[in-house]
Amino acid sequence: MKLRLCLYLAAISVVMAAAAPLRPARRPRYGGTLRVEIGAIVKSLDPSVAAANPEEAEAKDELDALLYDRRSESGAFAGAAGSGPFRLSAWEAGKSAVFAANEDYREGRPFVDSIEIQMGRSPRDRLLDLELNKADFAQIPAELARQATDRGVRVSTSQPDELLALVFLKGRTATENARVREAIVRCIDQAAIVNFILQKEGEPAGGLLPQWSSGTAFLFVAEEDARHAKEIWSQISPSPKLVLGYDSADALEQSVAERIVVNAKEAGISLMSRAMPNSETTSAHTGNVGPRGDTIHVDARLIRLRMPSPLPSVSLTSFADTLGPTTGIEVNPVPEDASPEDIYNCERSIISSGRVAPLVWLPQVYGLSARVHDWKQPAAGGSWPLADVWLDSMPETH
Amino acid sequence: MCNWHKPMRLLPRLFFLLAIITLALFAFTAWSSQAQSTAQIPAEWNKALDSLADKIATVAKPAKTFSLSVKNISSLSGADIASLREELVAKLTALKCRITEKPSDAQLQISFSESAEDYVWVAEIRRGDAHEVVMVLAARNVAKKPSAAGPSIALKREEIWEQAGKILDFGLASDAVAGGGSILVILEPGKLSFYEYRSGEWELIRAVAVAHARPVQRDVWGWIDLPAGKAELADAECSGDFQHPETVTCTSAGGGPDVAFKTNPISMEGHTVDSYVDLAPACGIGPLILVSGPGDWTEHDFVQAFGPKNQAGVVSGKVQFPGPILALWPSEDGKSARVVLRNLQTGAYEASIVSVSCGD
Repeated sequence: MKLRLCLYLAAISVVMAAAAPLRPARRPRYGGTLRVEIGAIVKSLDPSVAAANPEEAEAKDELDALLYDRRSESGAFAGAAGSGPFRLSAWEAGKSAVFAANEDYREGRPFVDSIEIQMGRSPRDRLLDLELNKADFAQIPAELARQATDRGVRVSTSQPDELLALVFLKGRTATENARVREAIVRCIDQAAIVNFILQKEGEPAGGLLPQWSSGTAFLFVAEEDARHAKEIWSQISPSPKLVLGYDSADALEQSVAERIVVNAKEAGISLMSRAMPNSETTSAHTGNVGPRGDTIHVDARLIRLRMPSPLPSVSLTSFADTLGPTTGIEVNPVPEDASPEDIYNCERSIISSGRVAPLVWLPQVYGLSARVHDWKQPAAGGSWPLADVWLDSMPETH
Repeated sequence: MCNWHKPMRLLPRLFFLLAIITLALFAFTAWSSQAQSTAQIPAEWNKALDSLADKIATVAKPAKTFSLSVKNISSLSGADIASLREELVAKLTALKCRITEKPSDAQLQISFSESAEDYVWVAEIRRGDAHEVVMVLAARNVAKKPSAAGPSIALKREEIWEQAGKILDFGLASDAVAGGGSILVILEPGKLSFYEYRSGEWELIRAVAVAHARPVQRDVWGWIDLPAGKAELADAECSGDFQHPETVTCTSAGGGPDVAFKTNPISMEGHTVDSYVDLAPACGIGPLILVSGPGDWTEHDFVQAFGPKNQAGVVSGKVQFPGPILALWPSEDGKSARVVLRNLQTGAYEASIVSVSCGD
């Protein structure tokens, strides 16, 4: 009788199992506090309050994306704060914040109970805290990615989606001469920038879009030719003295600017680098004002262009919008459904103007603690998907 | 004694015979690999090649003879490239262009590349200092016929829908073809949406809010049972005639425990698989098991068909997906499966149908 009952129950369980829908068994765990460290100092999370510098603007955008459910057509956050996956539960302007999981979030409650955010942490401190398991998530500058890996930090690297480029500013007498621009561009050793400064965490750039996005970047090849640069420069008389500006708060830009100065010197070109105040780097087409009120004159500057979308047409339009006022390049907007040929031609017209020299493609690099699961790199232009991240039950270290 | 010399004369003959057999084997291998490499290419790619050949012929004038080099900087396989190269050469020849192996005044460089969305096939024509570039776009998600030596079943992926918000499941209330009358049902954590196919587009005709008994979970699940006219979530249920969306209502189901979902792992080729669906027999094999990849939610995924459980061998190639498969459901007729995935590149949720066809 017992055997028959067992067989009967087994048969029922088989039928039930067959009838039940199946899904991937990748069940995450709810709970825990995700400890995040960022470099920027965010003074306000109110989307209507302008950020003091690009670094703050970027960090603020990431944090607001966790608090707001949607954006308006213009890209600004819309609706009420706390309508997103998290709600603000503690805030100390410029220092720290605590976000609590929104139990009623439209897309489902986040896996973690809360996120603790520490602001103003230097890249070295972030790296150290990841190493000592005092942080779960922190963005790492691309040039420190190799070091982080060597120190045993778990690193997640995106496809390259940020372009570091040299732009010649409009209205500068010296660089209005196309031969001057050509000499400078030709003397730059991109391979050295990638291999030594970025520790191979990046790619030399020839075009304005990366290969994975446009599929045509291989058609743009930047050719370093110091001998030819020297030759061109020798034909320019009188040879001008040029100034290359970089963001004073950006260590990578500083290293790259100094490297370009060395390359230029080797080609006999008179070029010096100069730091520009962080808040002024976006308006470099005008004369900049230094910290002591002195006017900073630069002929060219380094600029970072972050792709707002994986779609080549969208990113190219955004880049053209940024470069236009600075360099004087005029480009017709590229429609979203533009053909690869249209995109390539637009890109080529910008590059052939000689006013923009793409240098390197940079990836976004993140350090993660061992207990972080299901972190996936956001697509270019996307926000940190921290609502999808879950933590296993390893203890936190404070 | 009189035949003492025979073994000595037989040896060269044996060598000769062996040489002929070896040559024949080489010839057969070369023929079969050629047959494999020139597998039929999808119609969409054929059109793209037509366009590329036309563009090359137009910009190349007056040159008629080219030396050709081909490079692959995409995810296309070597066999695909060989087929595409052969097809392109045939098309150029038809356009009175001659491809030569010898160095020529005009060089044609074909690069099979890819962008974030599709393949980009680029032709560079160099003649002296002149350098012309033309290119075409070719769809990445196309059905490919398997080569003769490959598995005997072909899986075809058809993208049905894409949206920014999370999709739990979807259903087509009738065949989704132009002509109207088809209804697409999309189940999301907070609503059940109905779209009707009108004038070549899906138009939203009704959205029914789903009331939950408890706050929505991040790993919320749900599925649609079209014949039964219901959509189930862990704590809610919608019912009605899905062909007539106005009859559908959703109610909270009281928030019981997460009982409907069970994983029933099976062993496939020594691995435990818990994400699969059973499909009806097809192409003389079956019943089939459609299995998704072993990765987590951060990885690209695939589905592949296997034979019957007790003799589970691979019977199809893999259909690749640009992100993790979040849901895999069998269709009502057991001949296809509904797949919901999250595209890691775009972040969008995509609904696709993977169907089985015989790979002859």
